[in-house]
Amino acid sequence: MSGTGIQPIGGTARGLRSDVVAGLVLMVIASVVGWQNRAYPVGNLAEPGPGYMPLMIAAALGVFGLLIALRARTSPLFNAVDWSEGRRGIVMLIACAVAVFALERIGYRLSMIALLVFMLGVVERKRATPTLIVAFGFSFLSYYLFASLLKVQLPRGPWGL
Amino acid sequence: MDGGVFANLMNGFSVALQPSVLAYAFAGCVIGTLVGMLPGLGPLAGISLLLPATFGLNPIVAIVLLAGVYYGAMYGGSTTSILMRIPGEAASVMTCIDGYAMTQRGRAGPALAIAAIGSFVAGTLSVVALMFLAPTLASFALRFGPPEYTGLLLMGLFVLAYMSGGSMLKTLAMAAVGLLLGMIGIDAMSGYTRFSYGVIELADGIGIVPVAVGLFGLSEILLTAGQQTPPAIQRPTLRQLIPSLEEMKLAIGPISRGSVIGFLIGIIPGSAHIISSFVAYGIERRMSKHPERFGRGAIEGVAGPESANNAAATGAFVPMLALGIPTGPITAVMLAAIMVHGISPGPMLITQQPDLFWGFVASMYVGNVVLLVLNLPLVGLFVNLLRIPYSYLYPAILCFCILGVYSVSNSVVDVWIMLGMGAFGYVLRKTGFEPAPIALGLILSPMLELSVRQSLAMSGGSYGIFFDRPIAITMFVGAGVLILLGLKPLLFKSKDWREKVGLEDHV
Repeated sequence: MSGTGIQPIGGTARGLRSDVVAGLVLMVIASVVGWQNRAYPVGNLAEPGPGYMPLMIAAALGVFGLLIALRARTSPLFNAVDWSEGRRGIVMLIACAVAVFALERIGYRLSMIALLVFMLGVVERKRATPTLIVAFGFSFLSYYLFASLLKVQLPRGPWGL
Repeated sequence: MDGGVFANLMNGFSVALQPSVLAYAFAGCVIGTLVGMLPGLGPLAGISLLLPATFGLNPIVAIVLLAGVYYGAMYGGSTTSILMRIPGEAASVMTCIDGYAMTQRGRAGPALAIAAIGSFVAGTLSVVALMFLAPTLASFALRFGPPEYTGLLLMGLFVLAYMSGGSMLKTLAMAAVGLLLGMIGIDAMSGYTRFSYGVIELADGIGIVPVAVGLFGLSEILLTAGQQTPPAIQRPTLRQLIPSLEEMKLAIGPISRGSVIGFLIGIIPGSAHIISSFVAYGIERRMSKHPERFGRGAIEGVAGPESANNAAATGAFVPMLALGIPTGPITAVMLAAIMVHGISPGPMLITQQPDLFWGFVASMYVGNVVLLVLNLPLVGLFVNLLRIPYSYLYPAILCFCILGVYSVSNSVVDVWIMLGMGAFGYVLRKTGFEPAPIALGLILSPMLELSVRQSLAMSGGSYGIFFDRPIAITMFVGAGVLILLGLKPLLFKSKDWREKVGLEDHV
């Protein structure tokens, strides 16, 4: 359980508030959805079309975003948000993305071995032997448990791996 | 109800005590306890990851297994909170305060025992309440039409916003994001495919599992990866677990109050098990003759929240089983597990699937006993898991996330969604937004859209239909009252109850 990364900052400090940024982002999302929703008929009140509810909810989201931005006075400064673990997080997400891209191409076991070797060997700088034991052990054991025992369909790669 | 509650319950026990069902209940409790102990894997992520493994099982066994994981995780979370001040899941945060203080005073054993006994008592009392309330509520819900469902769903969202620890506006904004995500895919009434941008997999909509695993599992790993190995762990022996008579006496009141509060909060939508533990702690501190003991190892500070979060876990099943409406992401995933087997949740579930309902109820009694028997003597064994360095554990959890999400529908698109949601959840938590309403909005979205559009079609386009019908108007008035209560701290400079119990930051 980690808390938020916001450091408590007094209400008098000057600068961009985190809730102003959040409110603006929400308003942008609402506007984009509203714009994209033009493709679907809104209908009328007696026969609401597929575009009716997305439009209503996007409008509500826009209003909430505006109110959050307007009430941002007491929120912490955006610069005070602690993103210290962000770089590691981005590396992890990229590694996962590569593994997901490879999943149906080289199979579950090989892609998980590659992901674990990278995470343990490169990110966590563990020694080669435990890294390989965990990587191979986890991949083959989880495959056996899910694919063989629980009959969950998992992709296979070259040589049936 | 045909046959009376007792006869139905006996029928349920005949299902729950079948060796195969019993074995899965046991397995669920063990897995849940382990999941609850691991930081980075809460009950939701645990249930979501196990969901694909239940597809091949019969629906009763599937729901018994997942329910075992759910309340096993509730128990497991308390162990790490008490012994290491690490809440395995959010509902155990309050247990950390006095539980860990007791550990520092050498009273870890009684703290664990009271947590387990409180959870057992609260869990059992709540199942009794569930047994009587769910069928009654289900018969009442047969009077519900689309306007009533609209009122109920909207009121649920406002209750969530009001009860959540964070800002009401932020919670509603997150619920709106979830509702918008739920609009992706084929519109059930017109057949239009919305916001899918040519991705065939999106035509079916976004599933709850990738969103839940991303928002709760992956984002937690992104937040906690890189943390140092946890500190040394105390392992109390069986003899050291026995609480003193004084501690038992002090715990009786908080366990009773926690059971009632937890169950009542559990019925209403939101992260009930989390909120209930905060509320129970606040109430115990307020009622205590010696509130200064709280934070320094008061047994009431362990008994109250632990009983409340377990009672809330059971209370959450009432609307799920009686109305087919999930009160949170956990019950939504469990509903998905039932629906995979072609069973439609809703008011007719109890009469059409008595074996499922009563078997499930009986399995909860069994599960509570299993957990009590399992948790106390085996606590020393379970904590060994925490000796695994987190740097080895989190990459494995990451792989489990990918495996679990992919297995639900053999779709890589789902895994991409999970990664996106993980990054989104990380940013949200960093900026003080709670991700749970997104998951709830996503689940309620199709139901809400259908009921609103059907209501408007029924009335020929008049919003008056929501205010003509007594049940619907009651719910809309309830929602209105909650909005006004949420605005109160803005108009008057008084603290509201959430601040008083420690859930700061309102409106």
